Amino acid sequence: MAQSRVVGAVEIGTSKVTVLLGEIVGDAGLNIIGHTSCSSKGVQKGVITDLKAASDCVHAAIMTAEENAKTRTDEVYLALTGSHLRGNFNVGTTTVGSSDSVVRSADVEQATVDAKRRKLTADRTYIHHIQNPFSIDGQQVENPLSKEGDRLQVGYWSVHADREIVSESLRVISGIDLEVSDMIISSIASGAVLLEESEKDNGALVVDIGGGTTDFVLYRKGFIVLTGVVPVGGDHITNDLSIGLRVGRKSAEESKIKNGRAYYKAEDRTEKVWLYGDMTIGDREYPLAAITKIIEARVSEIFDIIKDQLVDADLYVPADIASGVVMTGGTSRLVGIEEVARRSLGLDARQSEGPRDVSPDLRVPEYSSALGLLHYALKGQEDEQQHAKPVGIFPRLRDILNF
Amino acid sequence: MPEAGLKIKIIGVGGAGTNAVGSIALADLDKVQFAAINTDAQALTKSSIKEQLLIGRAVTRGLGAGGEVDIGRAAAESDREAIATLVGEMDLIILVVGFGGGTGSAAACVVAEIAAKTGALVLAFATLPFHFEGSRRKRIAEAGVGELRKLVHGLIPLPNDVLLQEGEEDTSVLNAFAIADRWIGRGVHSLCIMLLKAGLINQDLGSLRSVFQRRGGKTIFGTGIASGGDYVKDALDDLFICPLLHMGDRPAQLDRVLVNVVGGADLGIAKVNEIMSQVSQRFGSREDIVFGAVIDDTRSESLEICILAKAEMEQRTPTKAENANVAESSTSPLQVLDTLGLETDVDQDQLPQQRAVHISKLLSKKKAVAEGQDEFTFNEEDAQRGYFEKTDRNVYKDEDLDVPTYLRRGIKIKLR
Repeated sequence: MAQSRVVGAVEIGTSKVTVLLGEIVGDAGLNIIGHTSCSSKGVQKGVITDLKAASDCVHAAIMTAEENAKTRTDEVYLALTGSHLRGNFNVGTTTVGSSDSVVRSADVEQATVDAKRRKLTADRTYIHHIQNPFSIDGQQVENPLSKEGDRLQVGYWSVHADREIVSESLRVISGIDLEVSDMIISSIASGAVLLEESEKDNGALVVDIGGGTTDFVLYRKGFIVLTGVVPVGGDHITNDLSIGLRVGRKSAEESKIKNGRAYYKAEDRTEKVWLYGDMTIGDREYPLAAITKIIEARVSEIFDIIKDQLVDADLYVPADIASGVVMTGGTSRLVGIEEVARRSLGLDARQSEGPRDVSPDLRVPEYSSALGLLHYALKGQEDEQQHAKPVGIFPRLRDILNF
Repeated sequence: MPEAGLKIKIIGVGGAGTNAVGSIALADLDKVQFAAINTDAQALTKSSIKEQLLIGRAVTRGLGAGGEVDIGRAAAESDREAIATLVGEMDLIILVVGFGGGTGSAAACVVAEIAAKTGALVLAFATLPFHFEGSRRKRIAEAGVGELRKLVHGLIPLPNDVLLQEGEEDTSVLNAFAIADRWIGRGVHSLCIMLLKAGLINQDLGSLRSVFQRRGGKTIFGTGIASGGDYVKDALDDLFICPLLHMGDRPAQLDRVLVNVVGGADLGIAKVNEIMSQVSQRFGSREDIVFGAVIDDTRSESLEICILAKAEMEQRTPTKAENANVAESSTSPLQVLDTLGLETDVDQDQLPQQRAVHISKLLSKKKAVAEGQDEFTFNEEDAQRGYFEKTDRNVYKDEDLDVPTYLRRGIKIKLR
């Protein structure tokens, strides 16, 4: 009988905690055997603000998933988000060492090390080093080994995080005697399962708009060239409505769901909607324009900031993002949000239909990051079989937690 | 009975303050005195206010502070005696200032300090610059608010972005400032008429003092106006959507509330009762609210409701301290607050104690609660962040993303 292990994919989101349990059997087969999604507590803008509340909530979610699956979790893959995540692009260069100018594995190793040389300050820690193409004497090559040339280069998109904030997330998991096998930033996790290989090759921007943050990842010619977090999400829309309409958060949230649209139309000025719609005292009528103008301002700003970051990185090249914008996350349910993305980003935009190879109830935006985590759990295993596991994960976690 | 000989002076400080005071027409309240203090001689000449004081002639040669806070402060410091003479011996002083410039932002604090020493109740209405006026003016205004809040009994901040959110889409900048002045006018007028006119339910300086017995903290102000038709309901609706009154989900935080209504002879006690019960329902229990009702014979079928309140600062321990059992933190909550940049309130002993003319039941009831509590001053912009009030600033390219985008971009939202 093939050996199996149970991987828990955990995303501690601002509005929801999502847990998927995946059973990885033998040679890279994956079954999803349990899932829960419940309201989150003690998290704002993607960062844990109340460790106890967040822990209780995550523990309850994992236990529920375990009960459903009638099994125990062996290890955890954790999704990360928050404005503390930053990235930079570094190019490693080496002069090919051998006299015949043929690239050997030592040269590749040297270029790779050079690309990761940038040291961080003590309060930061690397989460990912994501490889981009190699080039020899300025010519891009798929596999540099045994090719001829003098100068070998490789680029890396490196993502780093605030050490303290990451260790807070790790403490939540270690608090129930589970071990975190790896951490993956939410945008990369979502992107991995929502895009087809061809879309990654044509170039695509995945935007995951959640409750507290908007995470994005840009694929260009099949490689991840940029990731980012805008610390703004559905909670901000609700707060804007609460202030603008002068109502509590609960009513603002209900108005958003019931009457919200991501963009304003001239007709909204004359169309009236009821605040509560239940004939209670304090219920009042107001123009739909009040809601749609407030939401449009916020949503378009989110996409404007993403475009800004693409432009700043010199990566806003519509021809290289031919597959357009793919949206996921709870807030992507907002009516008309693709239209606003299209206008602000100047790119084609659509809602993700979710990964095709999972059951329909998991194809909802809330699960895409967690599914991505399982994807990496599986892929990590494949890599292990090829004896090419990329980074030593355990030393890194130990480093963050100061074991 | 309204107090005979109650002395009230309204002082505009700086260009915007002088303009605002000049536009407040209080024809029906001839007992109120008006004064203007500025560094700009030309601006003072243009003002219709009779009592004027040009400060810092030696510093600015009467040419204004040019947006420089240091010059504004030096000007006020150099003329302390003249300011003290102008402030005089009053029962109530209302300062009106536009924050963001050089004179108002700095001189207002000097004037407030002098005024507080006289034993008068000192309130201040301060407009905060529009977002489009830039981050420099915003920073000056924030510093000014932080300083002035500690010196006066009640500071009513009026963020221009918030006041203007309901304007017409084509409101010009000049009009926008006029609208802000109108809000100040409504507040000042309501306060004065409450103290000076006889009413169905009289309020006196003592009740006002009871609301502002402690300096610092957050002062809430809002008004609702309506006339004709179902003016009671309309005025209440107007009050409930007053942009200055919206405090997110925590109306229970409101403490020491003063509500004054001004109506015509047709405003009977039944209508007043209805207003009271609706306002109590919305802003706290009946016991926590002090009501006043004034009859103005020149009005008919019209109503103005004004609310002034102190919000009790939440006794919230910051998250890091909440996690102390996990994080093994040994710092006290106060130390943590210091690191968060919050300052504890000014020492009450620094300034002479005021004795209320009239002790209301509210005062005695709340005193026990107020004692032993530390109030914390807070940053003004937090008021615009709602749910995110207690979280770290979310700064991107000099803008705080937690403040609603529509407010930052000056997008007008009509609620009717």
